[in-house]
Amino acid sequence: MSIQNQGGSNYEYVTARVRSRRARLFDEDDYRKLTRMGTGEIARFMEESEYETEMNALGSRHSGGDLIEYALNRNLAANFEDLLRWADGRLYDYTARYLRKFDAWNVKTTLRGIYSDAERGEVEDDFIRAGELGEARLNRLLDAASMEEAIEALRGTMFHGPLTAALEIYEEHGELVPLENAVDRGFYGRLLEGLPEEPDRATELYIEFLRAEIDFRNLRNAFRLAYSGADIDPADYYIDGGRLFDEGDLRQLASNPDELAARVRDSPYGEDLDAALDGLERAEGLVGFENALDAALLEYSDQLSNRYPLSVCPVLGYVLAKEREVDNIRAVARGREAGLGEDEISEELVIL
Amino acid sequence: MAKDVKPTRKNLMAIEDRIELSERGHDTLEKKRDGLIMEFMDILDQAQDVRDQMDDRYERAQRAINMARAMEGDVSVRGAAAALKEHPEITTQSKNIMGVVVPQIESSKVKKSLDERGYGVVGTSARIDEAAEAYEELLETIILAAEVETAMKKMLTEIETTKRRVNALEFTLLPQLYENQEYIEQKLEEQEREEIFRMKKIKAKKEEEESAARAEAEEEAEDEEAEEPVTADD
Repeated sequence: MSIQNQGGSNYEYVTARVRSRRARLFDEDDYRKLTRMGTGEIARFMEESEYETEMNALGSRHSGGDLIEYALNRNLAANFEDLLRWADGRLYDYTARYLRKFDAWNVKTTLRGIYSDAERGEVEDDFIRAGELGEARLNRLLDAASMEEAIEALRGTMFHGPLTAALEIYEEHGELVPLENAVDRGFYGRLLEGLPEEPDRATELYIEFLRAEIDFRNLRNAFRLAYSGADIDPADYYIDGGRLFDEGDLRQLASNPDELAARVRDSPYGEDLDAALDGLERAEGLVGFENALDAALLEYSDQLSNRYPLSVCPVLGYVLAKEREVDNIRAVARGREAGLGEDEISEELVIL
Repeated sequence: MAKDVKPTRKNLMAIEDRIELSERGHDTLEKKRDGLIMEFMDILDQAQDVRDQMDDRYERAQRAINMARAMEGDVSVRGAAAALKEHPEITTQSKNIMGVVVPQIESSKVKKSLDERGYGVVGTSARIDEAAEAYEELLETIILAAEVETAMKKMLTEIETTKRRVNALEFTLLPQLYENQEYIEQKLEEQEREEIFRMKKIKAKKEEEESAARAEAEEEAEDEEAEEPVTADD
Protein backbone atom coordinates (compact mmCIF):
# COMPACT_ATOMS: atom_id res chain seq x y z
CA MET A 1 0.00 0.00 0.00
CA SER A 2 1.20 3.49 -0.70
CA ILE A 3 1.90 5.60 2.31
CA GLN A 4 0.59 9.06 1.56
CA ASN A 5 -1.03 9.80 4.86
CA GLN A 6 1.84 11.86 6.16
CA GLY A 7 1.57 15.61 6.16
CA GLY A 8 -1.43 17.90 5.91
CA SER A 9 -4.68 17.19 4.18
CA ASN A 10 -6.08 19.33 1.35
CA TYR A 11 -9.76 19.16 2.27
CA GLU A 12 -10.69 22.45 0.60
CA TYR A 13 -9.29 21.46 -2.79
CA VAL A 14 -10.62 17.92 -2.81
CA THR A 15 -14.09 18.73 -1.48
CA ALA A 16 -14.47 21.54 -4.03
CA ARG A 17 -13.62 19.18 -6.87
CA VAL A 18 -15.82 16.47 -5.39
CA ARG A 19 -18.75 18.90 -5.20
CA SER A 20 -18.30 19.73 -8.84
CA ARG A 21 -18.17 16.01 -9.76
CA ARG A 22 -21.16 15.27 -7.61
CA ALA A 23 -23.21 17.94 -9.36
CA ARG A 24 -22.63 16.09 -12.61
CA LEU A 25 -24.11 12.81 -11.37
CA PHE A 26 -27.34 11.65 -12.99
CA ASP A 27 -30.45 12.87 -11.21
CA GLU A 28 -33.92 11.38 -10.88
CA ASP A 29 -34.99 12.98 -14.15
CA ASP A 30 -32.12 11.32 -16.02
CA TYR A 31 -33.07 7.93 -14.59
CA ARG A 32 -36.67 8.49 -15.61
CA LYS A 33 -35.47 9.11 -19.17
CA LEU A 34 -33.10 6.15 -19.06
CA THR A 35 -35.75 3.66 -17.93
CA ARG A 36 -37.72 4.47 -21.09
CA MET A 37 -34.77 3.90 -23.42
CA GLY A 38 -33.43 0.80 -25.10
CA THR A 39 -29.80 -0.31 -24.68
CA GLY A 40 -28.70 1.56 -27.82
CA GLU A 41 -30.34 4.77 -26.70
CA ILE A 42 -28.80 4.44 -23.23
CA ALA A 43 -25.39 4.02 -24.86
CA ARG A 44 -25.99 7.14 -26.96
CA PHE A 45 -27.18 9.06 -23.89
CA MET A 46 -24.01 8.04 -22.08
CA GLU A 47 -21.85 9.10 -25.01
CA GLU A 48 -23.14 12.61 -24.48
CA SER A 49 -22.46 12.58 -20.76
CA GLU A 50 -19.55 12.10 -18.36
CA TYR A 51 -19.03 8.63 -19.80
CA GLU A 52 -18.10 9.83 -23.30
CA THR A 53 -14.38 8.95 -23.10
CA GLU A 54 -14.99 5.43 -21.82
CA MET A 55 -17.81 4.75 -24.29
CA ASN A 56 -15.63 5.84 -27.20
CA ALA A 57 -12.64 3.86 -25.96
CA LEU A 58 -14.59 0.63 -25.50
CA GLY A 59 -17.07 1.02 -28.37
CA SER A 60 -14.98 -1.00 -30.82
CA ARG A 61 -14.55 -3.95 -28.44
CA HIS A 62 -17.93 -4.29 -26.78
CA SER A 63 -21.55 -3.60 -27.53
CA GLY A 64 -24.95 -3.47 -25.82
CA GLY A 65 -25.11 -4.09 -22.07
CA ASP A 66 -21.45 -5.20 -21.95
CA LEU A 67 -20.27 -1.90 -23.43
CA ILE A 68 -22.29 0.07 -20.89
CA GLU A 69 -21.14 -2.05 -17.95
CA TYR A 70 -17.45 -1.93 -18.87
CA ALA A 71 -17.67 1.81 -19.56
CA LEU A 72 -19.32 2.35 -16.17
CA ASN A 73 -16.63 0.35 -14.39
CA ARG A 74 -13.86 2.16 -16.20
CA ASN A 75 -15.39 5.56 -15.46
CA LEU A 76 -15.83 4.62 -11.81
CA ALA A 77 -12.19 3.60 -11.66
CA ALA A 78 -11.06 6.86 -13.33
CA ASN A 79 -13.12 8.95 -10.92
CA PHE A 80 -11.83 7.21 -7.82
CA GLU A 81 -8.29 7.29 -9.15
CA ASP A 82 -8.70 11.05 -9.41
CA LEU A 83 -9.81 11.19 -5.77
CA LEU A 84 -6.68 9.38 -4.67
CA ARG A 85 -4.57 11.60 -6.92
CA TRP A 86 -6.05 14.78 -5.50
CA ALA A 87 -6.05 13.79 -1.83
CA ASP A 88 -3.08 14.27 0.44
CA GLY A 89 -2.22 13.26 3.96
CA ARG A 90 -4.91 11.88 6.21
CA LEU A 91 -7.61 12.56 3.63
CA TYR A 92 -5.80 10.25 1.25
CA ASP A 93 -5.69 7.57 3.93
CA TYR A 94 -9.40 7.91 4.76
CA THR A 95 -10.38 7.77 1.11
CA ALA A 96 -8.04 4.93 0.21
CA ARG A 97 -9.27 2.89 3.17
CA TYR A 98 -12.72 2.68 1.65
CA LEU A 99 -11.58 2.36 -1.96
CA ARG A 100 -9.45 -0.65 -1.14
CA LYS A 101 -12.65 -2.65 -1.50
CA PHE A 102 -11.97 -2.47 -5.24
CA ASP A 103 -8.55 -3.96 -4.59
CA ALA A 104 -10.35 -6.75 -2.75
CA TRP A 105 -12.64 -7.10 -5.77
CA ASN A 106 -9.68 -7.34 -8.18
CA VAL A 107 -7.91 -9.87 -6.00
CA LYS A 108 -11.07 -12.01 -5.78
CA THR A 109 -11.55 -11.74 -9.54
CA THR A 110 -7.99 -12.97 -10.07
CA LEU A 111 -8.46 -15.89 -7.68
CA ARG A 112 -11.74 -16.85 -9.33
CA GLY A 113 -10.06 -16.60 -12.75
CA ILE A 114 -7.27 -18.95 -11.68
CA TYR A 115 -9.80 -21.28 -10.06
CA SER A 116 -11.93 -21.53 -13.18
CA ASP A 117 -9.02 -21.46 -15.69
CA ALA A 118 -10.30 -18.24 -17.22
CA GLU A 119 -8.32 -16.44 -19.93
CA ARG A 120 -6.13 -13.50 -18.88
CA GLY A 121 -8.23 -11.14 -21.03
CA GLU A 122 -11.47 -12.22 -19.35
CA VAL A 123 -10.03 -11.54 -15.89
CA GLU A 124 -8.57 -8.22 -17.01
CA ASP A 125 -11.93 -7.10 -18.42
CA ASP A 126 -13.52 -7.75 -15.05
CA PHE A 127 -11.04 -5.64 -13.10
CA ILE A 128 -12.26 -2.37 -11.61
CA ARG A 129 -9.10 -0.32 -11.29
CA ALA A 130 -10.50 2.00 -8.65
CA GLY A 131 -8.41 0.82 -5.73
CA GLU A 132 -4.90 1.41 -4.58
CA LEU A 133 -3.11 -1.51 -6.24
CA GLY A 134 -0.97 -0.14 -9.04
CA GLU A 135 -0.76 -1.21 -12.68
CA ALA A 136 2.41 -3.27 -12.14
CA ARG A 137 0.88 -5.19 -9.24
CA LEU A 138 -2.33 -5.87 -11.15
CA ASN A 139 -0.30 -7.11 -14.12
CA ARG A 140 1.63 -9.46 -11.83
CA LEU A 141 -1.73 -10.73 -10.57
CA LEU A 142 -2.92 -11.27 -14.13
CA ASP A 143 0.27 -13.16 -14.97
CA ALA A 144 -0.13 -15.50 -11.98
CA ALA A 145 -0.81 -19.06 -13.08
CA SER A 146 -1.50 -20.50 -9.64
CA MET A 147 -2.95 -19.42 -6.32
CA GLU A 148 0.54 -19.44 -4.81
CA GLU A 149 1.85 -17.08 -7.50
CA ALA A 150 -1.15 -14.76 -7.08
CA ILE A 151 -0.67 -14.63 -3.31
CA GLU A 152 3.04 -14.03 -3.80
CA ALA A 153 2.20 -11.13 -6.11
CA LEU A 154 0.29 -9.58 -3.20
CA ARG A 155 3.25 -9.63 -0.83
CA GLY A 156 3.36 -6.36 1.09
CA THR A 157 -0.38 -5.72 0.80
CA MET A 158 -3.07 -6.27 3.45
CA PHE A 159 -4.27 -9.34 1.57
CA HIS A 160 -1.05 -11.34 1.71
CA GLY A 161 -1.23 -12.42 5.35
CA PRO A 162 -4.86 -13.64 5.44
CA LEU A 163 -4.50 -15.30 2.04
CA THR A 164 -1.34 -17.16 3.05
CA ALA A 165 -3.17 -18.44 6.13
CA ALA A 166 -6.19 -19.52 4.05
CA LEU A 167 -4.11 -21.20 1.34
CA GLU A 168 -3.64 -24.31 3.44
CA ILE A 169 -7.41 -24.76 3.86
CA TYR A 170 -7.87 -24.15 0.15
CA GLU A 171 -5.31 -26.80 -0.71
CA GLU A 172 -6.92 -29.24 1.70
CA HIS A 173 -10.54 -28.83 0.53
CA GLY A 174 -10.14 -27.34 -2.93
CA GLU A 175 -12.80 -24.71 -2.18
CA LEU A 176 -12.48 -21.05 -3.04
CA VAL A 177 -14.55 -19.75 -0.12
CA PRO A 178 -11.71 -19.60 2.45
CA LEU A 179 -9.60 -17.53 0.04
CA GLU A 180 -12.49 -15.18 -0.78
CA ASN A 181 -13.26 -14.77 2.90
CA ALA A 182 -9.58 -14.08 3.60
CA VAL A 183 -9.62 -11.26 1.03
CA ASP A 184 -12.78 -9.73 2.52
CA ARG A 185 -11.39 -10.09 6.02
CA GLY A 186 -8.15 -8.48 4.85
CA PHE A 187 -10.13 -5.49 3.64
CA TYR A 188 -12.53 -5.12 6.56
CA GLY A 189 -9.80 -5.89 9.09
CA ARG A 190 -7.85 -2.85 7.97
CA LEU A 191 -10.84 -0.56 7.57
CA LEU A 192 -10.74 0.71 11.14
CA GLU A 193 -7.06 0.16 11.82
CA GLY A 194 -4.84 3.07 12.81
CA LEU A 195 -7.61 5.66 13.10
CA PRO A 196 -7.04 8.48 15.61
CA GLU A 197 -8.03 7.66 19.18
CA GLU A 198 -9.42 11.12 19.79
CA PRO A 199 -10.81 12.16 16.44
CA ASP A 200 -12.50 15.44 15.60
CA ARG A 201 -16.26 15.35 15.09
CA ALA A 202 -16.06 14.85 11.31
CA THR A 203 -13.59 11.96 11.63
CA GLU A 204 -15.70 10.53 14.41
CA LEU A 205 -18.68 10.49 12.09
CA TYR A 206 -16.53 8.99 9.34
CA ILE A 207 -15.57 6.21 11.74
CA GLU A 208 -19.22 5.83 12.63
CA PHE A 209 -19.99 5.46 8.95
CA LEU A 210 -17.36 2.76 8.56
CA ARG A 211 -18.83 0.97 11.57
CA ALA A 212 -22.27 1.23 10.00
CA GLU A 213 -20.83 -0.25 6.79
CA ILE A 214 -19.45 -3.16 8.84
CA ASP A 215 -22.74 -3.54 10.74
CA PHE A 216 -24.70 -3.62 7.51
CA ARG A 217 -22.31 -6.16 6.04
CA ASN A 218 -22.70 -8.33 9.15
CA LEU A 219 -26.47 -7.88 8.95
CA ARG A 220 -26.61 -8.94 5.32
CA ASN A 221 -24.53 -12.01 6.09
CA ALA A 222 -26.55 -12.88 9.19
CA PHE A 223 -29.88 -12.67 7.37
CA ARG A 224 -28.57 -14.62 4.38
CA LEU A 225 -27.26 -17.35 6.63
CA ALA A 226 -30.45 -17.36 8.69
CA TYR A 227 -32.70 -17.67 5.64
CA SER A 228 -30.51 -20.09 3.68
CA GLY A 229 -30.56 -22.74 6.41
CA ALA A 230 -26.99 -23.69 5.39
CA ASP A 231 -24.81 -25.39 7.91
CA ILE A 232 -22.30 -22.58 8.20
CA ASP A 233 -20.75 -21.19 11.33
CA PRO A 234 -21.82 -17.49 11.29
CA ALA A 235 -18.58 -16.63 13.05
CA ASP A 236 -16.74 -17.50 9.80
CA TYR A 237 -18.35 -14.46 8.25
CA TYR A 238 -18.28 -12.13 11.22
CA ILE A 239 -16.46 -8.87 10.64
CA ASP A 240 -15.10 -7.19 13.69
CA GLY A 241 -15.54 -3.46 14.31
CA GLY A 242 -19.31 -2.97 14.12
CA ARG A 243 -21.58 -1.60 16.84
CA LEU A 244 -24.54 -3.88 16.43
CA PHE A 245 -23.28 -7.22 17.65
CA ASP A 246 -20.21 -9.25 18.51
CA GLU A 247 -19.21 -12.69 17.27
CA GLY A 248 -21.16 -14.53 20.00
CA ASP A 249 -24.33 -12.52 19.34
CA LEU A 250 -24.10 -13.21 15.63
CA ARG A 251 -23.68 -16.94 16.19
CA GLN A 252 -26.77 -16.99 18.35
CA LEU A 253 -28.92 -14.67 16.21
CA ALA A 254 -28.10 -16.20 12.83
CA SER A 255 -30.12 -19.28 13.72
CA ASN A 256 -33.17 -17.22 14.66
CA PRO A 257 -34.30 -14.68 12.04
CA ASP A 258 -37.10 -13.29 14.25
CA GLU A 259 -34.76 -12.51 17.10
CA LEU A 260 -32.30 -11.02 14.63
CA ALA A 261 -35.00 -8.73 13.23
CA ALA A 262 -36.02 -7.71 16.76
CA ARG A 263 -32.41 -6.83 17.57
CA VAL A 264 -32.15 -4.63 14.46
CA ARG A 265 -35.45 -2.89 15.29
CA ASP A 266 -34.07 -1.98 18.72
CA SER A 267 -30.77 -0.75 17.30
CA PRO A 268 -29.95 2.82 16.10
CA TYR A 269 -30.64 1.57 12.55
CA GLY A 270 -34.13 0.39 13.50
CA GLU A 271 -35.93 3.47 12.23
CA ASP A 272 -34.28 3.36 8.79
CA LEU A 273 -34.77 -0.36 8.35
CA ASP A 274 -38.20 -0.78 9.90
CA ALA A 275 -40.12 -0.97 6.61
CA ALA A 276 -37.56 -3.34 5.10
CA LEU A 277 -37.80 -5.62 8.14
CA ASP A 278 -41.60 -5.68 7.79
CA GLY A 279 -41.14 -6.74 4.17
CA LEU A 280 -38.75 -9.44 5.27
CA GLU A 281 -41.27 -10.77 7.77
CA ARG A 282 -43.89 -10.85 5.02
CA ALA A 283 -41.48 -13.21 3.19
CA GLU A 284 -40.80 -10.72 0.39
CA GLY A 285 -37.24 -11.96 0.14
CA LEU A 286 -33.90 -10.60 1.18
CA VAL A 287 -33.39 -8.45 -1.88
CA GLY A 288 -35.66 -5.65 -0.67
CA PHE A 289 -33.91 -5.68 2.67
CA GLU A 290 -30.49 -5.42 1.01
CA ASN A 291 -31.73 -2.48 -1.07
CA ALA A 292 -32.96 -0.81 2.12
CA LEU A 293 -29.50 -1.29 3.67
CA ASP A 294 -27.90 0.36 0.62
CA ALA A 295 -30.36 3.24 0.73
CA ALA A 296 -29.81 3.75 4.46
CA LEU A 297 -26.03 3.84 4.03
CA LEU A 298 -26.33 6.24 1.12
CA GLU A 299 -28.62 8.53 3.05
CA TYR A 300 -26.32 8.42 6.04
CA SER A 301 -23.29 9.40 3.95
CA ASP A 302 -25.31 12.20 2.39
CA GLN A 303 -26.27 13.61 5.77
CA LEU A 304 -22.62 13.56 6.81
CA SER A 305 -21.57 15.42 3.64
CA ASN A 306 -23.99 18.21 4.34
CA ARG A 307 -23.11 18.51 7.99
CA TYR A 308 -19.32 18.54 7.58
CA PRO A 309 -18.53 20.04 4.17
CA LEU A 310 -14.82 20.39 4.87
CA SER A 311 -14.00 16.86 5.92
CA VAL A 312 -13.68 13.39 4.47
CA CYS A 313 -17.50 13.08 4.63
CA PRO A 314 -18.29 14.77 1.26
CA VAL A 315 -15.64 12.59 -0.39
CA LEU A 316 -17.19 9.49 1.11
CA GLY A 317 -20.66 10.71 0.15
CA TYR A 318 -19.47 11.17 -3.43
CA VAL A 319 -17.86 7.71 -3.51
CA LEU A 320 -21.13 6.12 -2.44
CA ALA A 321 -23.26 8.26 -4.74
CA LYS A 322 -20.99 7.49 -7.71
CA GLU A 323 -21.11 3.78 -6.94
CA ARG A 324 -24.89 3.98 -6.73
CA GLU A 325 -25.04 5.83 -10.05
CA VAL A 326 -23.00 3.10 -11.70
CA ASP A 327 -25.23 0.44 -10.13
CA ASN A 328 -28.38 2.26 -11.23
CA ILE A 329 -27.30 2.82 -14.84
CA ARG A 330 -26.14 -0.77 -15.10
CA ALA A 331 -29.45 -1.93 -13.65
CA VAL A 332 -31.38 0.09 -16.20
CA ALA A 333 -29.24 -1.06 -19.15
CA ARG A 334 -29.18 -4.73 -18.16
CA GLY A 335 -32.81 -4.61 -17.16
CA ARG A 336 -33.84 -3.15 -20.52
CA GLU A 337 -31.64 -5.66 -22.30
CA ALA A 338 -33.40 -8.47 -20.43
CA GLY A 339 -36.79 -7.06 -21.35
CA LEU A 340 -37.78 -5.89 -17.87
CA GLY A 341 -40.51 -3.26 -17.68
CA GLU A 342 -40.08 0.36 -16.68
CA ASP A 343 -41.79 -0.16 -13.33
CA GLU A 344 -39.79 -3.28 -12.51
CA ILE A 345 -36.53 -1.43 -13.16
CA SER A 346 -37.62 1.70 -11.29
CA GLU A 347 -38.45 -0.40 -8.23
CA GLU A 348 -34.88 -1.67 -8.10
CA LEU A 349 -33.17 1.69 -8.38
CA VAL A 350 -31.86 3.34 -5.24
CA ILE A 351 -32.07 7.07 -5.83
CA LEU A 352 -31.44 9.59 -3.14
CA MET B 1 -51.89 -66.54 -51.59
CA ALA B 2 -54.26 -69.36 -50.93
CA LYS B 3 -53.52 -71.01 -54.28
CA ASP B 4 -49.87 -71.47 -53.28
CA VAL B 5 -50.87 -73.73 -50.42
CA LYS B 6 -51.10 -77.45 -50.98
CA PRO B 7 -54.60 -78.51 -49.98
CA THR B 8 -53.64 -81.34 -47.72
CA ARG B 9 -55.02 -82.29 -44.36
CA LYS B 10 -51.57 -81.87 -42.82
CA ASN B 11 -51.37 -78.30 -44.09
CA LEU B 12 -54.86 -77.64 -42.82
CA MET B 13 -53.86 -78.81 -39.37
CA ALA B 14 -50.71 -76.68 -39.50
CA ILE B 15 -52.75 -73.63 -40.56
CA GLU B 16 -55.27 -74.25 -37.81
CA ASP B 17 -52.41 -74.34 -35.32
CA ARG B 18 -51.04 -71.07 -36.73
CA ILE B 19 -54.48 -69.47 -36.56
CA GLU B 20 -54.84 -70.46 -32.95
CA LEU B 21 -51.37 -69.09 -32.14
CA SER B 22 -51.97 -65.88 -34.09
CA GLU B 23 -55.34 -65.29 -32.43
CA ARG B 24 -53.77 -65.79 -29.03
CA GLY B 25 -50.88 -63.47 -29.99
CA HIS B 26 -53.34 -60.93 -31.34
CA ASP B 27 -55.29 -60.93 -28.08
CA THR B 28 -52.11 -60.60 -26.02
CA LEU B 29 -50.72 -57.81 -28.19
CA GLU B 30 -54.04 -56.01 -28.07
CA LYS B 31 -53.98 -56.17 -24.28
CA LYS B 32 -50.36 -54.98 -24.30
CA ARG B 33 -51.24 -52.10 -26.62
CA ASP B 34 -54.14 -51.04 -24.40
CA GLY B 35 -51.96 -51.34 -21.28
CA LEU B 36 -49.20 -49.31 -22.92
CA ILE B 37 -51.68 -46.64 -23.95
CA MET B 38 -52.95 -46.40 -20.38
CA GLU B 39 -49.40 -46.13 -19.03
CA PHE B 40 -48.59 -43.66 -21.77
CA MET B 41 -51.55 -41.47 -20.83
CA ASP B 42 -50.31 -41.38 -17.21
CA ILE B 43 -46.79 -40.49 -18.36
CA LEU B 44 -48.21 -37.93 -20.77
CA ASP B 45 -50.03 -36.17 -17.92
CA GLN B 46 -46.85 -36.26 -15.87
CA ALA B 47 -44.80 -35.00 -18.84
CA GLN B 48 -47.20 -32.10 -19.38
CA ASP B 49 -46.98 -31.16 -15.69
CA VAL B 50 -43.19 -31.37 -15.77
CA ARG B 51 -43.07 -29.34 -18.99
CA ASP B 52 -45.30 -26.63 -17.48
CA GLN B 53 -43.18 -26.64 -14.34
CA MET B 54 -40.02 -26.41 -16.45
CA ASP B 55 -41.40 -23.43 -18.40
CA ASP B 56 -42.33 -21.67 -15.15
CA ARG B 57 -39.00 -22.37 -13.56
CA TYR B 58 -37.12 -21.33 -16.69
CA GLU B 59 -38.91 -18.00 -16.67
CA ARG B 60 -38.24 -17.57 -12.96
CA ALA B 61 -34.58 -18.48 -13.38
CA GLN B 62 -34.15 -16.14 -16.35
CA ARG B 63 -35.80 -13.36 -14.41
CA ALA B 64 -33.59 -14.02 -11.38
CA ILE B 65 -30.39 -14.06 -13.42
CA ASN B 66 -31.44 -10.96 -15.35
CA MET B 67 -32.11 -9.18 -12.08
CA ALA B 68 -28.80 -10.38 -10.65
CA ARG B 69 -26.95 -9.26 -13.79
CA ALA B 70 -28.78 -5.95 -13.74
CA MET B 71 -28.26 -5.17 -10.07
CA GLU B 72 -24.94 -6.87 -9.32
CA GLY B 73 -23.37 -6.66 -12.75
CA ASP B 74 -22.44 -9.34 -15.21
CA VAL B 75 -18.96 -9.48 -13.78
CA SER B 76 -20.18 -10.39 -10.28
CA VAL B 77 -22.55 -13.03 -11.56
CA ARG B 78 -19.86 -14.61 -13.73
CA GLY B 79 -17.43 -14.48 -10.84
CA ALA B 80 -19.86 -16.24 -8.51
CA ALA B 81 -20.62 -18.85 -11.17
CA ALA B 82 -16.92 -19.50 -11.74
CA ALA B 83 -16.47 -20.31 -8.06
CA LEU B 84 -18.55 -23.47 -8.31
CA LYS B 85 -16.43 -26.50 -7.50
CA GLU B 86 -18.76 -29.47 -7.40
CA HIS B 87 -20.72 -29.70 -10.59
CA PRO B 88 -24.03 -31.57 -10.69
CA GLU B 89 -23.83 -35.21 -11.67
CA ILE B 90 -26.37 -37.61 -13.09
CA THR B 91 -26.46 -41.39 -13.15
CA THR B 92 -28.82 -43.38 -15.31
CA GLN B 93 -30.45 -46.68 -14.47
CA SER B 94 -33.27 -48.42 -16.26
CA LYS B 95 -36.70 -49.64 -15.26
CA ASN B 96 -39.23 -51.80 -17.08
CA ILE B 97 -42.75 -50.58 -17.86
CA MET B 98 -44.71 -53.40 -19.59
CA GLY B 99 -41.61 -54.65 -21.34
CA VAL B 100 -40.37 -51.21 -22.31
CA VAL B 101 -37.01 -50.32 -20.86
CA VAL B 102 -37.07 -46.65 -19.85
CA PRO B 103 -34.31 -44.64 -18.18
CA GLN B 104 -34.36 -43.65 -14.55
CA ILE B 105 -32.16 -40.61 -14.02
CA GLU B 106 -30.74 -39.97 -10.58
CA SER B 107 -29.16 -36.58 -9.99
CA SER B 108 -26.85 -35.48 -7.26
CA LYS B 109 -25.28 -32.21 -6.16
CA VAL B 110 -27.91 -30.20 -8.04
CA LYS B 111 -29.52 -28.44 -5.09
CA LYS B 112 -26.82 -26.79 -3.08
CA SER B 113 -26.78 -24.96 0.17
CA LEU B 114 -25.14 -21.56 0.44
CA ASP B 115 -21.86 -23.05 1.65
CA GLU B 116 -21.68 -25.53 -1.24
CA ARG B 117 -21.94 -22.98 -4.01
CA GLY B 118 -18.31 -22.03 -3.78
CA TYR B 119 -18.62 -18.26 -3.57
CA GLY B 120 -18.04 -16.29 -0.41
CA VAL B 121 -20.98 -14.74 1.42
CA VAL B 122 -19.28 -11.44 2.12
CA GLY B 123 -18.67 -10.30 -1.44
CA THR B 124 -21.99 -11.44 -2.92
CA SER B 125 -25.65 -10.68 -2.42
CA ALA B 126 -29.04 -12.29 -1.96
CA ARG B 127 -29.77 -11.72 -5.66
CA ILE B 128 -26.99 -14.11 -6.62
CA ASP B 129 -28.38 -16.63 -4.09
CA GLU B 130 -31.82 -16.25 -5.67
CA ALA B 131 -30.45 -16.75 -9.19
CA ALA B 132 -28.39 -19.78 -8.11
CA GLU B 133 -31.37 -21.32 -6.34
CA ALA B 134 -33.68 -20.69 -9.29
CA TYR B 135 -31.22 -22.37 -11.67
CA GLU B 136 -30.75 -25.33 -9.34
CA GLU B 137 -34.52 -25.83 -9.31
CA LEU B 138 -34.63 -25.46 -13.09
CA LEU B 139 -31.89 -28.04 -13.53
CA GLU B 140 -33.74 -30.49 -11.29
CA THR B 141 -36.86 -30.08 -13.42
CA ILE B 142 -34.87 -30.48 -16.64
CA ILE B 143 -33.46 -33.78 -15.37
CA LEU B 144 -36.95 -34.96 -14.41
CA ALA B 145 -38.29 -33.83 -17.80
CA ALA B 146 -35.49 -35.72 -19.56
CA GLU B 147 -36.49 -38.89 -17.69
CA VAL B 148 -40.23 -38.52 -18.27
CA GLU B 149 -39.99 -37.40 -21.89
CA THR B 150 -37.55 -40.16 -22.83
CA ALA B 151 -39.89 -42.69 -21.21
CA MET B 152 -42.76 -41.12 -23.13
CA LYS B 153 -40.93 -41.34 -26.45
CA LYS B 154 -39.92 -44.95 -25.83
CA MET B 155 -43.49 -45.83 -24.84
CA LEU B 156 -44.76 -44.15 -27.95
CA THR B 157 -42.37 -46.10 -30.17
CA GLU B 158 -43.40 -49.33 -28.43
CA ILE B 159 -47.10 -48.49 -28.82
CA GLU B 160 -46.53 -47.85 -32.51
CA THR B 161 -44.68 -51.16 -32.94
CA THR B 162 -47.36 -53.08 -30.99
CA LYS B 163 -50.11 -51.38 -32.97
CA ARG B 164 -48.40 -52.34 -36.23
CA ARG B 165 -48.08 -55.92 -35.01
CA VAL B 166 -51.75 -56.06 -33.95
CA ASN B 167 -52.81 -54.62 -37.29
CA ALA B 168 -50.55 -56.98 -39.20
CA LEU B 169 -52.10 -59.93 -37.39
CA GLU B 170 -55.64 -58.60 -37.64
CA PHE B 171 -55.64 -57.38 -41.20
CA THR B 172 -52.98 -59.41 -42.99
CA LEU B 173 -51.87 -62.61 -41.35
CA LEU B 174 -55.13 -63.86 -39.86
CA PRO B 175 -57.26 -63.10 -42.98
CA GLN B 176 -54.66 -64.87 -45.07
CA LEU B 177 -54.65 -67.86 -42.75
CA TYR B 178 -58.46 -67.93 -42.73
CA GLU B 179 -58.45 -67.78 -46.51
CA ASN B 180 -55.95 -70.62 -46.71
CA GLN B 181 -57.96 -72.63 -44.23
CA GLU B 182 -61.13 -72.09 -46.21
CA TYR B 183 -59.38 -72.91 -49.47
CA ILE B 184 -57.96 -76.14 -48.11
CA GLU B 185 -61.27 -77.08 -46.51
CA GLN B 186 -63.07 -76.44 -49.77
CA LYS B 187 -60.48 -78.36 -51.71
CA LEU B 188 -60.61 -81.24 -49.26
CA GLU B 189 -64.41 -81.30 -49.40
CA GLU B 190 -64.23 -81.28 -53.17
CA GLN B 191 -61.75 -84.10 -53.12
CA GLU B 192 -64.05 -86.00 -50.77
CA ARG B 193 -66.98 -85.41 -53.00
CA GLU B 194 -65.00 -86.57 -56.03
CA GLU B 195 -63.93 -89.63 -54.13
CA ILE B 196 -67.49 -90.45 -53.17
CA PHE B 197 -68.62 -89.91 -56.72
CA ARG B 198 -65.82 -92.09 -57.97
CA MET B 199 -66.64 -94.78 -55.47
CA LYS B 200 -70.28 -94.61 -56.44
CA LYS B 201 -69.32 -94.93 -60.06
CA ILE B 202 -67.12 -97.93 -59.35
CA LYS B 203 -69.83 -99.46 -57.24
CA ALA B 204 -72.40 -98.94 -60.00
CA LYS B 205 -70.06 -100.34 -62.55
CA LYS B 206 -69.34 -103.29 -60.36
CA GLU B 207 -73.04 -103.88 -59.79
CA GLU B 208 -73.65 -103.60 -63.50
CA GLU B 209 -70.95 -106.14 -64.21
CA GLU B 210 -72.27 -108.42 -61.55
CA SER B 211 -75.82 -108.24 -62.88
CA ALA B 212 -74.53 -108.84 -66.39
CA ALA B 213 -72.62 -111.86 -65.22
CA ARG B 214 -75.65 -113.14 -63.39
CA ALA B 215 -77.88 -112.69 -66.45
CA GLU B 216 -75.38 -114.53 -68.61
CA ALA B 217 -75.22 -117.35 -66.18
CA GLU B 218 -78.97 -117.63 -66.13
CA GLU B 219 -79.12 -117.69 -69.91
CA GLU B 220 -76.56 -120.43 -70.10
CA ALA B 221 -78.50 -122.46 -67.65
CA GLU B 222 -81.67 -122.10 -69.68
CA ASP B 223 -79.86 -123.16 -72.83
CA GLU B 224 -78.50 -126.25 -71.18
CA GLU B 225 -81.94 -127.24 -70.05
CA ALA B 226 -83.34 -126.94 -73.60
CA GLU B 227 -80.68 -129.12 -75.26
CA GLU B 228 -81.21 -132.19 -72.95
CA PRO B 229 -81.63 -135.61 -75.13
CA VAL B 230 -85.01 -137.56 -75.46
CA THR B 231 -85.04 -141.07 -73.80
CA ALA B 232 -86.28 -144.68 -75.32
CA ASP B 233 -89.46 -144.56 -73.52
CA ASP B 234 -90.39 -141.70 -75.88
